Amino acid sequence: MKKVAAFLSSLLVFLTVNPLLAQAAETAGETVTTTGVVPPLWMCIPFAGLLLCIAIFPLVKEAWWERNRQYAVILWCVLFIVPFAIFYGAGTMFETVLECIVNDYLTFIVLLFGLYCVAGNIKVEGNLAGSPRVNVMLLAIGTLLSSWLGTTGASMLLVRPMIKMNSWRKDRKHIMVFFIFLISNIGGCLTPIGDPPLLMGFSRGVSFFWSMRLFPVLLVNMVILLVVFYFIDQFFYRKEIARGAMPKYDPEAPLLRIKGAHNLLFIAMIITAVILSGVLPVTVLKNVPGIHLFGDVVLGWTSVVEMAIILLAAWLSFKTTDCSIRKQNHFTWSAIQEVATLFIGIFITMQPALMILKSAGASLGLEHPFQMFWITGALSSFLDNTPTYLVFLTTAGAMGFAEGISTTLGIVPVKMLMAISCGAVFMGANTYIGNAPNFMVKSISDENGIRMPSFFGYMLWSLCILIPTFIVDTLIFFL
Amino acid sequence: MERIYDDKYFRELAERIYDLDTEVYEAVGSSLGRVFNGSKERMVSELMKTMMVREQGYLIRSELALISNMARTITNKPKRKEIMIKYDALLKELMELPTSFAAGDIMDSRMAGLNVLNLKERFGEKQHVIVCISRTFGSAGSEIGFTLADELQMNFYDVSIMDEVLKRLETEDGTVISQDDLDRQSAHRNLAKEYFDNFRHYHGIPKRDAEFFLTSKLILQKAREEDFIIMGRCADAILSNHNIPHISIFITAPTVVRLHRIMEINPHLDAKAATKLMMKQDAKHMKRYHYYTGRTWGKASNYDLCINSGTYGIRGCVDMIKSMFK
Repeated sequence: MKKVAAFLSSLLVFLTVNPLLAQAAETAGETVTTTGVVPPLWMCIPFAGLLLCIAIFPLVKEAWWERNRQYAVILWCVLFIVPFAIFYGAGTMFETVLECIVNDYLTFIVLLFGLYCVAGNIKVEGNLAGSPRVNVMLLAIGTLLSSWLGTTGASMLLVRPMIKMNSWRKDRKHIMVFFIFLISNIGGCLTPIGDPPLLMGFSRGVSFFWSMRLFPVLLVNMVILLVVFYFIDQFFYRKEIARGAMPKYDPEAPLLRIKGAHNLLFIAMIITAVILSGVLPVTVLKNVPGIHLFGDVVLGWTSVVEMAIILLAAWLSFKTTDCSIRKQNHFTWSAIQEVATLFIGIFITMQPALMILKSAGASLGLEHPFQMFWITGALSSFLDNTPTYLVFLTTAGAMGFAEGISTTLGIVPVKMLMAISCGAVFMGANTYIGNAPNFMVKSISDENGIRMPSFFGYMLWSLCILIPTFIVDTLIFFL
Repeated sequence: MERIYDDKYFRELAERIYDLDTEVYEAVGSSLGRVFNGSKERMVSELMKTMMVREQGYLIRSELALISNMARTITNKPKRKEIMIKYDALLKELMELPTSFAAGDIMDSRMAGLNVLNLKERFGEKQHVIVCISRTFGSAGSEIGFTLADELQMNFYDVSIMDEVLKRLETEDGTVISQDDLDRQSAHRNLAKEYFDNFRHYHGIPKRDAEFFLTSKLILQKAREEDFIIMGRCADAILSNHNIPHISIFITAPTVVRLHRIMEINPHLDAKAATKLMMKQDAKHMKRYHYYTGRTWGKASNYDLCINSGTYGIRGCVDMIKSMFK
């Protein structure tokens, strides 16, 4: 291990003091833009490699993967970092990685951590037995709640009650798959609190309540998915009854009871922090510089304030809640650890793909809402949906439309903005890595006796159910 | 020493898997549910069945992996280590299971275990003799069942008796709203309130499903307490699912014979009305049975014995069934 560390540090020093390499890269034909560099396509190989590892290893070498996934993440990161440093110089590499860690990953994981901690301290108890109609009700309520608690908040709050209600059943992976579809993704489209891309839109001049216009789209998706879910759940429910399973409940206990309800205040605190991250940059902290770290990398005060509030909420939640609630909730650190480990790798290795997207987004010839919906969605399925949203919002804003929603990036027609927003929010549900709560829900389910589909297995669900739904969306709203 | 792969070994292995799951769940202290969420007997039986089908061996390994997922989250390190050692040992044994158990016999050991022909071997001192009779409408199944119960001096339960018992239980524990209450309320019906009341009373489970679960519990309770004959109620499937020995009988007769009997008993019905009633009742039974058991009602392979009551008559059927107990 020491030898590896020594080799890497000497390599770093060598690259830092060798500007000729960066110059060579420029002369070799790669473009250096004001926002950074545009790497060649092959630099996306580490990203694809990491995704394949996440998809394949849990299937073929599960125990090994659980023990060693951090090394796989390090390996693919190094395979991106070293060639990138050789081509563009260690300074650019360091700046790129630092920018992604400080300004993307850190706020992402702190928000996830905060909600994970606080939601783990809330125990929703009760005697509701997981039947198709109860599941449909909870999914519908959760979907509508997502826009006001955030997809991550709603997912963390409701995932355990959903698991508990259906604990008498054996086949229940489909319930968690639809949970990810609706609560962890699609439900977040109505407000900027719902999903980070919309928050980016809000901070760029889209009004707070504009996203409410997406309600008809949400409604269509909810109706289709809940009806499909009802029939699938009914099929599995009948199978459970046929094999002799019976729900267990205490007739004396209330239908619903919340333990640790005061933690809802801390959730409100976290939501406030998220809203502030959208409001502060355009109001109080408009001209206040952040903390300069390296090169052009600046940690904004907004992020500092947001993270401080979230961490404080998590700390207060732990201090004020009895640990027996966490025990009953089967609260462990492994789910958040898994997400933190995998996503730092995903965030770092996806940088080349994002850079290419930023430079090529405008030249893709996208003129129609349906094109925006599908391209934003397809890329949001695998890349971070926030920068993807921004790229296409910028592209649309630069098209010179005269009518539409006025943003700081230009005027964007309503239909176009709807398509970009829906694509970014909805299609995060296409893969486990499309949106942060997806993987959290999977990990928590895995830990609680639910055999979740593999990476490709999940994609098969989304391919068969979500894609036809999105085609209906296209036909009704985006043509 | 070479291992003998017999029922005893499979039972022991299945029990160890179930016990490991229990141990992990208790060590974790969670209340969110476990991997094997049914009664021990039922789960062990399911595991044994899966073990016997080599093509499904991966299913047990995958269930075991779910237990290990949970086990890895145990905070007490010595306990976790102890459990993981047990897990490794179990996994090793599962991997060593032979690829085929074929012996050429057609007998399904599980089904045979529930078969009344093994009566002497099966029914121990603590077990009771239970006869489940399903019948088509008009085939005199109820009369056959009632006569049999009378002659064998066993309790007899048909739909009306079961409903009475359920009603009594409902009003005792208040878990289910009785039909009387509903009838009383029907004059001032508030559909929304009724829906919510049902929802609350049945814990979100549809009313008819809740009643089925209550009936199942009642049948299982009776099976622990007494010998009895039960008509319908999906009792054969309920008892099979819980590995309770019983004999399942399906009684039917040719349509013409049944129609003749229906019209004899109900003189006000003409042939058309009798046919309609017969078809309606049979369809209702078929639908209900399929909904709650996943099986096909009346399919011969689902029963130990199928009788054409048109050939033997009530007396002949009773004697035939009685002869099985000699």
